[in-house]
Amino acid sequence: MPGISHRQDEEEFRGATGSLFRIALSPTIWAFHFLFCYAGAAVWCAKVGTEEGITFLRLSILGLTLLALLVIGWQGWHSYRQWAPHDNDDHVEGPHRFLGHAALLLSIISFVGVVYVALPALFIETCL
Amino acid sequence: MTRCGKQATRGPAPPAFLVLPLMLGACEGRQSALMPGGQDASQLFLIFMVMLGGAVVLWVALNGMFYYFTQVNRRHFALRHGNRIIIGAGVILPTVVVGALLAWGLSIMPSQRARGDGLVIRVNAEEWWWRVEYWPPGAEAPIASANEIRFPAGSRTELQLTASTYIHSLWIPSLGGKMDMIPGRQTVLTLHPDLEGFYRGQCAEFCGASHALMAFEAVVMAPSAFDTWLASQATPAAEPVTQDQMQGKSIFRREGCGACHTIRGTEFTGAVGPDLTHLASRASLAAGIMEVERDDLMTWIAHTREIKPQVAMPAYDWLSPEELAALAAYLESLE
Repeated sequence: MPGISHRQDEEEFRGATGSLFRIALSPTIWAFHFLFCYAGAAVWCAKVGTEEGITFLRLSILGLTLLALLVIGWQGWHSYRQWAPHDNDDHVEGPHRFLGHAALLLSIISFVGVVYVALPALFIETCL
Repeated sequence: MTRCGKQATRGPAPPAFLVLPLMLGACEGRQSALMPGGQDASQLFLIFMVMLGGAVVLWVALNGMFYYFTQVNRRHFALRHGNRIIIGAGVILPTVVVGALLAWGLSIMPSQRARGDGLVIRVNAEEWWWRVEYWPPGAEAPIASANEIRFPAGSRTELQLTASTYIHSLWIPSLGGKMDMIPGRQTVLTLHPDLEGFYRGQCAEFCGASHALMAFEAVVMAPSAFDTWLASQATPAAEPVTQDQMQGKSIFRREGCGACHTIRGTEFTGAVGPDLTHLASRASLAAGIMEVERDDLMTWIAHTREIKPQVAMPAYDWLSPEELAALAAYLESLE
């Protein structure tokens, strides 16, 4: 019996490991998007100039933002299906579904975070 | 016990509550962001009022719901309804409201950095005073001043800001937002004052012992009056006329004041402290904390570091009252 239980744990853990990585995916994209936007704009403004090529810089940030939102959106949809809130009515949320639920919430926060990070680049027209 | 319980739920007593409107008097004055005197301050004032109004609505709605669900309607709600309220009012509403405010605030920022209409004023933050240079369009040399910034009304002036040793921040609440002044780099702030008058500016970034005493006068003038004033600032200093003033000038020379202060048109060309060429035309002394009049000048010269901790100018406390009076008379003649 202990052996079977151990094997069950291992299988469950293997499934959960993938979910754990997926949980971290959206916040990680948010973090890198933040880093690339701010560090990229700072380096561009310091090295290229305060007004030269600003349109290119802003379009790059826009492109990066759309890419980040696409991946986070896809991850959110995937997490929603893993959570499957309407599949059973017994209100018991096992580890697998719980991790999907948590990943979905983190994806929503990350989505909003990425939008807020990108807003200054869309509105502010110079480096000054 | 019952009595105590009743008192606890009654809230603040009426007289104490009625005193609060008296505090609104603090919103007035020449250093208030709530009394805008220019385009930039007006925009910030509008943002403030909208956010204040929104905060009042949210506060009333939140407490109204709290009251409704705990006092008026105490029946149990379905989890579904509860979740809807939490997700709608607790997640979606703040996200949309904060996002909209962020977008609105950011959309105003470019106009706060719009290019000036020609006049450039360079301000360098010293310990703890302001070195000011006026560069009218086409000027090859600046017109030097200190501790006072004058603007022509109705046009946008560009302020180029730098700092000597510490980080400071220039803020004239009635005219616009604040901007940091950082050693080794230049920041730019543009202001479009409209209402003529005297305003007060203040260092808005803690910068050391005399941070709170680092203020200045901001004067908004009619364009023609500004041009006349600027032309007079470009002229050399007035020669002393009276006996007192002449004695004051010789004391100024004897004590080595000219090693630190410039008075244009004389042999005094020091650049450590403020330019004193037209000191008496300014509305304040020692960076916005005293007046340019006999008693204040005498007190300041004899007690600099008591008045302004760690300021570079030593206290000339060995001068006799007569010598101080003569020195003050000379400085008062520098109009």
